[in-house]
Amino acid sequence: MSATFVAPATLDEVLVAIAAGAVPLAGGTDLVVGHRQGKRPLPDAVVAIDRVAALKGITTGDTTLTIGAFTSHDEAVHDDGIRALFSAIADASAIVGSEATRSTGTLGGNLMNASPAADTVGPLLCHDAVAVLRSTIGERRVTIMDLLVGPGRTSAEPGELLTAIEIPQPLASTGSAYVRLEYRRHMEIAVVGATALLTLAADGTISAARISITALAPTIRRVPEAEAALIGRLPDRAAADEAGRLAAAASSPISDVRGSADYRRAMAAVITRRAILAAAARAAGSPVASPASDSTFGAQS
Amino acid sequence: MTGRVRPDGRAKVTGSGRYTADLSVSGMLHGAFRFAGVPHARITRIDTSAARALPGVFAVITAADVGTERHGLFVQDRTLFAHDVIRWEGEVIAAVAARTPDLARRAAALIEVDVEHLPCVFDLEAALEAGSPLVHEDWESYGAGDEVIRDRNEATRCSIVKGDAAAAMDGAAIVVSSRYVADGSQPTPMEPRAILAEWNGPEVTIHSSTQVPFAARGHVAAALGLAESNVRVIVPLLGGGFGGKCEPHFEPQVAALARAAGRPVRLVFNRHEEFIAPDHRRERMVLHYETGVSANGEFVARRARLIIENGAYSADQPAAVQMAAHFAVGPYRVPNIEVWSHLVYTNTQPTGSVRAPAAPTVCWGLEQHLDEVAAAVGLDPVELRRRNIVREGDLGATSQVYDRIGAAEALERAAELIGYGRQLPDDEAIGVACAFWPMFPMASGAYVKLNGDGSGTIVTGAQENGSGAVMAMPVLVGQILGMNPESFSLVYQDTSAAPFDAGSAGSQTMFNNGRAVVAAATEIAEQLRALAADVLEAAPEDLELVGGAVRVKGTPTRSVPIVELAGIAQGGSLLLGRGSGDPPPVPECDASGCVGRLGVESFAAPTFSTHAVRVKVDRDTGVVRVLEVAAVQESGHIVDPDGAIGQVRGGVVMGIGQAISEGMVDGSDGTRRNAHLLDYKLQTAADAPVIHCDFVDIPAENAGPFGAKGVGEPCTVPTPGAVANAIARVLGKRVHLLPATPERVWAAANEVAMIEPNGASR
Repeated sequence: MSATFVAPATLDEVLVAIAAGAVPLAGGTDLVVGHRQGKRPLPDAVVAIDRVAALKGITTGDTTLTIGAFTSHDEAVHDDGIRALFSAIADASAIVGSEATRSTGTLGGNLMNASPAADTVGPLLCHDAVAVLRSTIGERRVTIMDLLVGPGRTSAEPGELLTAIEIPQPLASTGSAYVRLEYRRHMEIAVVGATALLTLAADGTISAARISITALAPTIRRVPEAEAALIGRLPDRAAADEAGRLAAAASSPISDVRGSADYRRAMAAVITRRAILAAAARAAGSPVASPASDSTFGAQS
Repeated sequence: MTGRVRPDGRAKVTGSGRYTADLSVSGMLHGAFRFAGVPHARITRIDTSAARALPGVFAVITAADVGTERHGLFVQDRTLFAHDVIRWEGEVIAAVAARTPDLARRAAALIEVDVEHLPCVFDLEAALEAGSPLVHEDWESYGAGDEVIRDRNEATRCSIVKGDAAAAMDGAAIVVSSRYVADGSQPTPMEPRAILAEWNGPEVTIHSSTQVPFAARGHVAAALGLAESNVRVIVPLLGGGFGGKCEPHFEPQVAALARAAGRPVRLVFNRHEEFIAPDHRRERMVLHYETGVSANGEFVARRARLIIENGAYSADQPAAVQMAAHFAVGPYRVPNIEVWSHLVYTNTQPTGSVRAPAAPTVCWGLEQHLDEVAAAVGLDPVELRRRNIVREGDLGATSQVYDRIGAAEALERAAELIGYGRQLPDDEAIGVACAFWPMFPMASGAYVKLNGDGSGTIVTGAQENGSGAVMAMPVLVGQILGMNPESFSLVYQDTSAAPFDAGSAGSQTMFNNGRAVVAAATEIAEQLRALAADVLEAAPEDLELVGGAVRVKGTPTRSVPIVELAGIAQGGSLLLGRGSGDPPPVPECDASGCVGRLGVESFAAPTFSTHAVRVKVDRDTGVVRVLEVAAVQESGHIVDPDGAIGQVRGGVVMGIGQAISEGMVDGSDGTRRNAHLLDYKLQTAADAPVIHCDFVDIPAENAGPFGAKGVGEPCTVPTPGAVANAIARVLGKRVHLLPATPERVWAAANEVAMIEPNGASR
C-alpha cells in the first residue's frame, strides 16, 4: 500500500486528483483526527486544497455573498459583512473548537464533514445557502438541505469538490443568531444548538422566519412548525417560548454521556428561544454581541 | 512577579524540551499492551501465536514470562500482568514489541484471550453488602501490612474516635445529617505516560515519565530480580502528573519486554490508555456526615461514614483513607468524634493518589454539610466557620496541639478578597470552604557545587512534575550564598546521579528536599567563609555572603567576589556541599481511637486554606460559570511567590473542573464511556476565572526551609466545596452529586428526576 499526498496550486489539478479517488484535505481538523479516534482509516490518496487561490476569500456581491470553501472560521469571524448581515454564521464560526481549530479549520470542511453537530451548518441552512460542487465534468448548485443526507453523508458525488458557499443577501430588517449549549467555553461540541433567522415587518411583527436545530436529529434540520408559529407575531418571549417548544417537539435526541434525551429536549426549547430573541434583537437593530452563545448565557428573558 | 525565568521554562515554552516520548535510540522497537476490555472474568486461555507470527513482531510477553508474584504498597494484590482473574477493563494482559507502534497495536489485538465472565460489582454500597460478588476471592493468601484491616470487599477501614459522639449528639441543640455522592475523576496530565527501556548486559536504563523515579527503580529491581545498582531511572522533562504518575507504573513490564525482544523498547500511551490503565485516579465516594451543634453554633460532635472506592487493586489508597477520616473532621474544633472510612474493592480502575488524595472530595462533602449546619443554626456560613476554625493551642481530631497556624487568618482574608456579603445579581452567589492538608517528613538528599567560574550546580534527587518546586531550589541556594539564583543550574531526575528523594508526591519537594538543598548550600557557605577569611584576614564568623561576594560584616569595602574564591578553590579543595535535612518530628497525638493506623495519626506541619468563589448559574440550562475566586493559603513561609501563585492558580482551576465538569462516566457494563478529552471535560483557559491569590506567611516550626510548607496540593482542596456552596446559594437547593454538571444543576433547580448515563436514577 502506498499512500499519496499532493498539494496542487490549481483547482483543475485538485479536481483531477479527486476524480482519481483522492480525498480533499482542507484545514486538517477532521481527517487525521478522525483516523486517530478510530472513526475511519486514513485514505490512500489525499489532495490538499490549501494552495488553491480560487477556493479562498469572501466576496460580497449585490445579491449574493460568496464564501470560498477554503475560508477559515477565523476569517469568517473577522469579516465585517458576515458579522453584520450573516450574524449566525459569525456566532457559529466564533465557537468552533478552539482558537487553533478556528485558525485552520474551514467552513467548507465543517459543511462537508456533515456532522449533525457542526456549528456553522445550521446558520448556513437558515440563510438559504447553496453549495457549489464542482468536478472535472462540470459544476452544480445544491441547497444545504439537499446536501445533507445523513450523519457524515452528503449528496456530493464521487469526484465533486465543494468550491464555494453562496448565500443570498438578506432582506432589510433581518437578523440571525446561532446559540449553542456550552458546558465550557472552549473546545466544545454541540449537544444542543439552534439557529434563528427573522425578518421583521414595518410594524415589528415577524414576516419571515427560519429555525433550525443542531445535534438534535440525525441531520441538522429546519423546524417548519416553529417557523410557521412565528409568522405575523411580535418576537416576544411568548412567541419565542412557543417556537422553542415546537423545536423541542421536533427533535429526536438520544441519551448518552453528554446528556439525557429529556435534558436535551428541554434544552432544545431554551436554546431555540434564546436564538430567536437574539435574532429578533438584531433584526430590530439592537446589537447582540457575537458569539450569541456567550452573550445570551444566563439570559432571563 | 520577579521576572525570574524558570530553569526549565524556555525549553518547555519553545518546544525544544525533550519528553520521554521524544526520545529514540538505535534499534528501538515500539511497545503496546493488550488490555482486558472486560471488568471481571477468569482467563481460561491466552494464545499469542498469531501475534508472534506477524512479521516485525519481536516479542510477546504475558504473566507466564515474568511470574505472578504479587506486589503492592499496603496490600500485595497485584501482578505485573493479569493472572488467572481480570478485575477491571484496563488490566494489562500482555505486552508486544514490534517495529512500529501500529504494528505493535495490531499484534496486541491478535492475541487471543478466552475468558469466563464473573459477576461484577461496581456500586460502592452494594460491594459492602453480604451477598456481593468478591473482587478478590482468595485475598487471605496475599501479603499485607499489619494495620490493614481486610473484610470481604473492604480493602481496609480506618477510624477516629474521640470523646462520646453519641452522647454529645443527644445533648446537642441541633443535629444535621447529610449524604453526598461523588463521581471519580482523572489526573489527566498533558503528557500521556511513556517508558523507554534499554539493556546493556545486566544493567537496564529506563527513561520514564514517572513522578517517583527512586520508587520505580526499586520496583523494577524487585520485580525482575535485579540489584538496584543495575537499574537506572531517568526522567526527561515530565509533562505533568497530578499524582497519576506516582507509584511505579509499567516500568517492569517494559523492561521485561525489552529484555525479551533483545532490543530497546519504547511504549507511549495514547489518551484512551492514559484514561483507563493507570492505577491512579480520584475515587468515587459516598459520604455521610452528622454534626451536633450548640445553639450558638459551636460544634459538639461529628459522626461520619465515608465509603471510598478502591477499585480493583489497592495502590497507595489505604493511607488516603486514613487521611480521609481527618478530612471528615476538617480544620475545626470538634470535641466528640466518631468517623469511619471504608475502602471498598470494585471492578473498576484502581484509585490512588491524585493531587491531595481524598481531600478535595471529602472536603466538598463536609463543607456543603457545614453550610447546611449554618442554615439550621441560622448563622452565616463564614460566621459558623469563624466560630469553629482551629487556632493556636487548639486540639486536632487526634488531640495533636496546633502551634502557630493561620487557618482563621486565611478565612478572614479570603472573605475580604472576594468582597463577601456584597450585593450580587440574583443568579450569582459566593460560596466558601476551608481545608487543611498535612506535610510528610521524609528523607531527601542533595548536592551543591560551585564551579571554578563561579557558577553553581544543584544535584538533587527531587523530581520536577511541573509544579516548579525543584525549579525553586536555586532561590534557596541563592539566598544562602548571597548569589543570583540564575547562577545555578540543576542536575535532577536521574537515580544514578543524585541522592534519594521520595519523588514528586505529597507536596513534599520544597518541604523535604528544600531542607536538604539548604543544608548542602550551607556547607558551601562555610567553605567560602573559610577561604575568604584567608583572603580578607578576618575571622570566618565575622563574614557574610551578600551580592555575590563575601564581605566583612559592617565593613562592606572589605570583600572578595565569590567568583574569585571559586577560582582559588578550583586549584585546591573544591567547593562541594551535601545535605539531607533531618526530617522534622511528627506531632504527638492520642491515637487510641484510631484503627487502621497507616502512619497519618497526626498531621505534620499542616497547611490551611480558604477559598471563596463567586459563581453565576444559568438556571434554565444548569450551566455554571465560576467568575471569581479568592484563594488564600497558609503554607508557612513562601520561598518562591511566583511559583506558589502558579500552583494556586492551577489548583483552583483543577478544583473547578472537579466541581462542575470532570467526572468519569462508566456504563452499566463497567466500561468507561468518556475516556477521551472531548467528553471528559477539563476546564480550558477560557473557563479560568479571575483568581486572587494570597498567602498568610507564617514561618512554621518543624517544617521545611525557612519555615516553608507545601503548596501544590493544599491549593486544590477547598475549591470544589466552595463552588458547590456558591451554586447552592444561587439555587436555594443543593446538588448532592459531584461534579455538578449542567444536567444535574438543571435537575436540582427544576426538581426534575434524572437518569444518569449508567442507568442509575438520582
